[in-house]
Amino acid sequence: MLKEGSELMRIDHHPILKTFEKGKLVKFLYDGEVMEGYEGEPIAVALRANGVMIHRYTSKHNDPRGVFCAIGRCTDCVMVVDGEPNIRTCITPLQEDMKIETQHGISNNKEDESI
Amino acid sequence: MKRYELIIIGAGPAGLSAAIEAASNGMQVMVFDENERPGGQLFKQIHKFFGSKEHKAKERGFRIGEKLLKEAEGLGVEVQLKAAVMGIFDDKEISVMLDGRVEHYRANNIVIATGASEKMLPFPGWTLPGVIGAGAAQTMMNLHGLKPGSRVLMVGSGNVGLVVGYQLLQAGCKLEAVIDAAPRVGGYGVHAAKLARTGVPFYMSHTIKEAHGDSCVKGAAILAVDSSWQPIPGSEKYLEVDTICMAVGLSPMSQLARTAHCEMENNPLKGGLVSICNKYGETSTPGVYAVGDVAGIEEASSAMIQGRIAGAAISFDKGYINEAEFATRYEEYQNSLMQLREGMFGHKDKEAADMEHTEEGYILSQSLLSKGYMDAEEIEEYPGVYPVEQRGKGVFPVIECTQNIPCNPCQDACKRGCIKVSGKITNLPSVDASVECTACGMCVVSCPGQAIFLVDETLAPGYASVAIPYEFYPLPEPGSKGLALDRSGTSLGEAEVLKVKSSKAMDETAVLTMKVPVEWSMQARFFQVY
Ligand SMILES: Cc1cc2nc3c(=O)[nH]c(=O)nc-3n(C[C@H](O)[C@H](O)[C@H](O)COP(=O)(O)OP(=O)(O)OC[C@H]3O[C@@H](n4cnc5c(N)ncnc54)[C@H](O)[C@@H]3O)c2cc1C
Ligand code: SF4
Ligand code: SF4
Ligand code: FES
Repeated sequence: MLKEGSELMRIDHHPILKTFEKGKLVKFLYDGEVMEGYEGEPIAVALRANGVMIHRYTSKHNDPRGVFCAIGRCTDCVMVVDGEPNIRTCITPLQEDMKIETQHGISNNKEDESI
Repeated sequence: MKRYELIIIGAGPAGLSAAIEAASNGMQVMVFDENERPGGQLFKQIHKFFGSKEHKAKERGFRIGEKLLKEAEGLGVEVQLKAAVMGIFDDKEISVMLDGRVEHYRANNIVIATGASEKMLPFPGWTLPGVIGAGAAQTMMNLHGLKPGSRVLMVGSGNVGLVVGYQLLQAGCKLEAVIDAAPRVGGYGVHAAKLARTGVPFYMSHTIKEAHGDSCVKGAAILAVDSSWQPIPGSEKYLEVDTICMAVGLSPMSQLARTAHCEMENNPLKGGLVSICNKYGETSTPGVYAVGDVAGIEEASSAMIQGRIAGAAISFDKGYINEAEFATRYEEYQNSLMQLREGMFGHKDKEAADMEHTEEGYILSQSLLSKGYMDAEEIEEYPGVYPVEQRGKGVFPVIECTQNIPCNPCQDACKRGCIKVSGKITNLPSVDASVECTACGMCVVSCPGQAIFLVDETLAPGYASVAIPYEFYPLPEPGSKGLALDRSGTSLGEAEVLKVKSSKAMDETAVLTMKVPVEWSMQARFFQVY
């Protein structure tokens, strides 16, 4: 089942880069829902292609957070991956049957929590 | 503990160039980069770069990156990826996080080339999913083939905002607006004009008031500010966007220099806190160098030269090249660097530029600075445009490059000599109406600013042809119809595609020739597919 916005976010033909090399299409679980993405691409990319914007909620104010820097620096995109919290999904490659869950609270980033 | 003659931190253009220079002189070099691919910023840059041939101008950033890497590998440079350097200690020892373990290395010399990080501008709603950095947008679309959003607001009109804005259009996103709190477009006019003629509005003297949405961005409220940056009541506008892209500046990532006890300074011209370096890039800690964006926000072109200079200085210091050789190279690199720093956007002249006239005395288009495009009348004043009385003979180039920027590929592109950038490379290109243009189109595709058009007012009675650079998918078919847009992106009316030329030498920039009523010959600058 694809969410709104879904595959439309993928760039099929780029005027300069043409096509993008991708791994094989695999299934993964997002909060219990089966989704598809390409093996080896960042988890955050697969989620965005499926229309997922929210990666976690802050512990203090329960504010939603999503991808911000996309290079592993800001920790906004951390989620629970295969049971392990605080995984930066923007730089962690997607693997078949991965279990990805929205994270509530518990983040390493102190600065975030004060916002 | 493993020891190297030279350790370089960061495999961007600066670090790789330092590595290439030192390794080509025979040094043993190790490069660490925390990323999983080398190249730093270059791999996200899919546009053609400015500069001159020696600065690798008109090549796309990622291809420059590929070349640097190949050269470094060919010279035996080791590049260790996924290796974040955590600190530099006494005796030039460094600690590196590798596979979750901390490893220590020692070097005779260290080059810090860690680049920059993006600045952020907090506003109500800035933490909502959908507010992203410009770098994130580039990473998603240019590395992973994913549109960062459907309808985007770009905050910041510097070159980063303008270039990423254009890349968003190429990725198929809609760019709803570019805003900037400053009264003038911060980046090159030619970059702004590329966006404006596709219909992207520029709101200068505007800031973002807030992002709307509960769980993610659903819109943005912007508002005008006066000359003292105070909000103007009643000026609020609402933009329906799902993505707010922030391009409000970069700051040098100079933490490592501090761990090495380098003397630091806060220098606004360099983008913030930087280590104080001598002319070779050496910090106050002997043997520790800083080059590229970490030493002051500039360009990849200058980062590469700085890397070269540091590499040469270290090679000389360690006896790999002699004094005469070093002096020759230093002079060559330094000249090349100074060329890039000229002009109204350059480090050297930024403060001095009056923003009214070019260095040659031409009037700077205020419309370009405030709206992102030039008025049709203004363009006639510049040296890149044939005088009206010389236009009846066939095809002629129209060069809409009107600011002093360090760039000259147009001159090299024209084998016939129609185009000259005389003297400094920041001078405006001029056309020589006495040399016949063969309409080959090479100037059009070589211009990184996409500022050159070919016009023929003798196409057929009442009609002219206008050839434009075109970098969008799909390429329109000859014979197809669409809209001719003027520089502001306003439709003039229908145009027909006559020709679409693209070849390997043109490197993905096509030349699209459209047929328009002759009255539009100096106005039609973009073709919009129906
Ligand atoms: C949108 C955009 C458009 C641009 N367009 C142009 C252009 O047209 N022409 C031009 O000349 N320039 C352009 N630039 C500027 C250019 O990309 C930069 O100036 C240039 O990349 C700086 O090079 P660098 O080597 O100093 O840093 P970077 O390219 O940022 O490389 C730094 C490297 O250091 C690594 N690193 C950082 N910290 C550590 C650490 N602690 N341990 C290990 N590794 C670390 C990073 O992973 C990175 O790979 C553009 C920049 C942007 C953002
Ligand atoms: S179209 Fe060809 S001949 Fe004409 S100005 Fe450009 S490069 Fe020169
Ligand atoms: S017209 Fe010439 S100088 Fe101006 S941007 Fe194009 S290539 Fe560079
Ligand atoms: S988005 Fe910043 S760490 Fe992933």
